[in-house]
Amino acid sequence: MSKMFYAKLAVSNIKKNGKFYFPYILTSIGTVMMFYIMCFIFTNDGISKMTGSVYIKTIMIFGTVIIGIFASIFLFYTNSFLIKRRKKEFGLFNILGMDKRNLARVLGIENLIVAAAGLIGGLLCGILFSRLMIMILAKLLKFNISFGFQISIYAVAITFIVFIAIFILIYLNTLRQLHFAKPIELLYGSNVGEREPKTKWVLAIMGAISLLSGYFIAITTDSPLAAIGLFFIAVLLVIIGTYLLFIAGSIALLKILRKNKGYYYQTNHFTTISGMLYRMKQNAVGLANICILSTMVLVMISTTVCMYLGLDDALRNLYPRNIEVTAQSISVQDCQYLNEIIEKTLSESKNSSIDTIKLRYLNFMVSQKEDSLSFVSNGVYLNNEATAALFIPLDEYNRINNSSLSLKENELIVFLKKTAIGNNVTFADKNYKTIKLTDDTGLAKYTSIKYSDNYLMFIAPSEKAIMNIYNSIALDKASNTNLNYYYGFDTNVNSASQLELYNNINTALNNSKSIHSDQIYVGCAESIREEFLTIYGGLFFLGIFLGILFMMATVLIIYYKQVSEGYDDKQRFEIMQKVGMSRTEVRSTVKTQVLTVFFLPLIAAVIHIAAAFKMITKLLEALNLTNIILFAWCVLGTVVAFSLIYALVYSLTARAYYKIVE
Amino acid sequence: MTILEINNLKKIYTTRFGSSKVQALSNVSFSVEKGEYVAIMGESGSGKTTLLNIIASLDKPTSGEVLLNGQNIVSISEKEISSFRRDNLGFVFQDFNLLDTFSIQDNIYLPLVLCGKSYDEMNARLKPIAAKLDISDILSKYPYEVSGGQKQRTAVARALITTPQLILADEPTGALDSKSADSLLSLFENINNEGQTVLMVTHSIKAASHAKRVLFLRDGEVFHQLYKANMTKQEMFAKISDTLTVLAAGANNKQENKIK
Ligand SMILES: Nc1ncnc2c1ncn2[C@@H]1O[C@H](COP(=O)(O)OP(=O)(O)OP(=O)(O)O)[C@@H](O)[C@H]1O
Ligand SMILES: [Mg+2]
Repeated sequence: MSKMFYAKLAVSNIKKNGKFYFPYILTSIGTVMMFYIMCFIFTNDGISKMTGSVYIKTIMIFGTVIIGIFASIFLFYTNSFLIKRRKKEFGLFNILGMDKRNLARVLGIENLIVAAAGLIGGLLCGILFSRLMIMILAKLLKFNISFGFQISIYAVAITFIVFIAIFILIYLNTLRQLHFAKPIELLYGSNVGEREPKTKWVLAIMGAISLLSGYFIAITTDSPLAAIGLFFIAVLLVIIGTYLLFIAGSIALLKILRKNKGYYYQTNHFTTISGMLYRMKQNAVGLANICILSTMVLVMISTTVCMYLGLDDALRNLYPRNIEVTAQSISVQDCQYLNEIIEKTLSESKNSSIDTIKLRYLNFMVSQKEDSLSFVSNGVYLNNEATAALFIPLDEYNRINNSSLSLKENELIVFLKKTAIGNNVTFADKNYKTIKLTDDTGLAKYTSIKYSDNYLMFIAPSEKAIMNIYNSIALDKASNTNLNYYYGFDTNVNSASQLELYNNINTALNNSKSIHSDQIYVGCAESIREEFLTIYGGLFFLGIFLGILFMMATVLIIYYKQVSEGYDDKQRFEIMQKVGMSRTEVRSTVKTQVLTVFFLPLIAAVIHIAAAFKMITKLLEALNLTNIILFAWCVLGTVVAFSLIYALVYSLTARAYYKIVE
Repeated sequence: MTILEINNLKKIYTTRFGSSKVQALSNVSFSVEKGEYVAIMGESGSGKTTLLNIIASLDKPTSGEVLLNGQNIVSISEKEISSFRRDNLGFVFQDFNLLDTFSIQDNIYLPLVLCGKSYDEMNARLKPIAAKLDISDILSKYPYEVSGGQKQRTAVARALITTPQLILADEPTGALDSKSADSLLSLFENINNEGQTVLMVTHSIKAASHAKRVLFLRDGEVFHQLYKANMTKQEMFAKISDTLTVLAAGANNKQENKIK
């Protein structure tokens, strides 16, 4: 037989199976395109010139790897789906006298055509869209350079090698499937396994336990630090739980419903339950995949959007004022001197300050035994008993809050954050009466105590009283001889002027030798803004990019499921009509089943997100993003947008389904 | 009492693009009495399935009427037709048409569940039928786990359980081996003896010789009919063969005429 024959056969096979092949080729094009664009970004010269390009490159390389791995898994999945659907056709060819070698040849040509279409189409689209993408990225990072139209040979080469490798592996896998199949199996390929599914109670229960413990961890984790460690465990548990529940739990539930005769033998339950049993057996893994992918899309997009939008909040949390000076262990006179230097620099640069905060305070770690507090030596800082304590003199407190509280010598005002203390507190045998305060009046955020989950804030009668307490319990008396000092203010000038002012203050303070302090630190939010922007903006870009990729995968899985379901259901509905169901009855039971099957993953994904909400806010808190309202809006927005797209995809693919069934 | 009356039935199929027309039934009239067992025979393409589908209200005739108990089923609205079919007709198909998602028992229950019957009533109805059809042991199995004969008996049970006016069977023995076919035929005979009206399309002379009357279709018309009356099955068998020979000869004559 001539070579042309095989080529012709391959082409006609692709055309004939267009319903399955066309989306497969589109997926190849899409993944190749996205992979190329990622490669293009991290090999781009313009990006290399940016400040913080290291972060962007790291993020994009990370993204490239993820897309690569995902593309291979996904192309494997779609291809094996295709082969499964076509087994009957292979069987027919086989019986008509084509041996496996010939079949392998035809399949080889088919794969070659798909690979060529995917690579060429994908690279062309990639080259076309790479410019647009890099513009979008530059816009997100607020970085102004003009990128010319360019093709990265390096990126083309990487894409080419990676995807050729993937397509070869896919072909080898196809050959493997073909090799191990018996002709009779090939002929009945897609009919194998119509047996009724068994109830796997152990798996179902394990799934429920796994899912619930994942949720439990997510809901009960309170500290951001613990959240980082536990997040992946929770994610893993939830993933395992999802798969097991979709596979075993759904069947178990349906079988319980079926056992209930009164419920099962009702007109609208009867066909639905038995149909669902069958569907869940066929689709459980696919649906669990959709669920996990959807959850990933939702988490990724909502958190990265939140991070990007919350950038200002995060900076403000790190630096409650535009420019801040913190001095460790400094005397009152030296504070005065420090103020003068700052104010002089301010007036020299013709800037004025707004919302100036000056605060003297002292903070150190204490260990608490009931109501008695003692010093914590350095070695046991990480001990659970160690609590951060902040002391502020009463006059400072009154001055900042415009209040006129007064305290007796043996009294302390206390504010407790996730700590408890009685009516009395003891420092080295000296007893103080406590007056509880319900609000920290916003002072804690100016000191490093804000990084602690739980702390005690004391307002003492005087500075001297604070030093007395400190000296009475300190182990190393020389370490703090004075209180610390915070001087922070806002300006109403632009970023560049702020940075200039920041530099000027830094130089002025460095040059003055007369201030005695353990350490003076000058901070300015603008100095780290760019760095944050590249990281958050890069992650945002990657989040959206991967979100789209995963969405594409979800869409394709839904499409394939609908089409294959359609072929399976066609015959079943013809029978039901013959036995006496009206068209409308058949339609409505189909609709219930199809809707349940396809919206189950979405509903599960939304429940996952709801359960993960608190834990993700804790993770964001670790990144200084404390704006829970913003995150809630991001999640809500993402969920709504995603559900709309999901519903749209469903209605489009449902049309394909009904076309087949009717 | 006449249970089914068919008057001047005509069916013309128009192909999808309307270019060619096929006249499947040109003018069919006959009637069936209550308790009768009627077989319909004819060559391939003579319109048997078409006729049965129209009686089953699965298809509409081009003209003519089908009266079941005096009611013209052609004029029943689309909405009511499936419940009418459920209440009055039972079907047995050549390829069984069992649903693989249901157990044997649930397949039999299906039409009753659609009518909204309670489980207890369904169970009470199934017991005697299952015993009669010898499928009591396989009720909890699935269609792919039982033999062809058992599948067809399941289909018969499904047709009988609604106590229909009329049972319609389209080549019910077509997919069965001769032993299963024999047992199915004697089953039909038994249920007919109990008063059930049966209308069966078949190619098999053996199958037709069980019937009390055989109608022969040719070119979309009732060409001839035979009454069994007091004949034995063997005599009936011979009579049917003869008629079929005449029928075939007629067809040949016609072809020859065309050639000439
Ligand atoms: N849906 C249809 N559209 C067009 N023509 C049809 C359709 N169904 C049947 N026909 C034609 O009508 C005629 C009668 O067909 P029918 O199926 O009733 O024959 P039959 O007697 O059942 O044959 P067989 O014994 O082979 O089953 C045939 O010529 C057939 O080609
Ligand atoms: Mg027929």
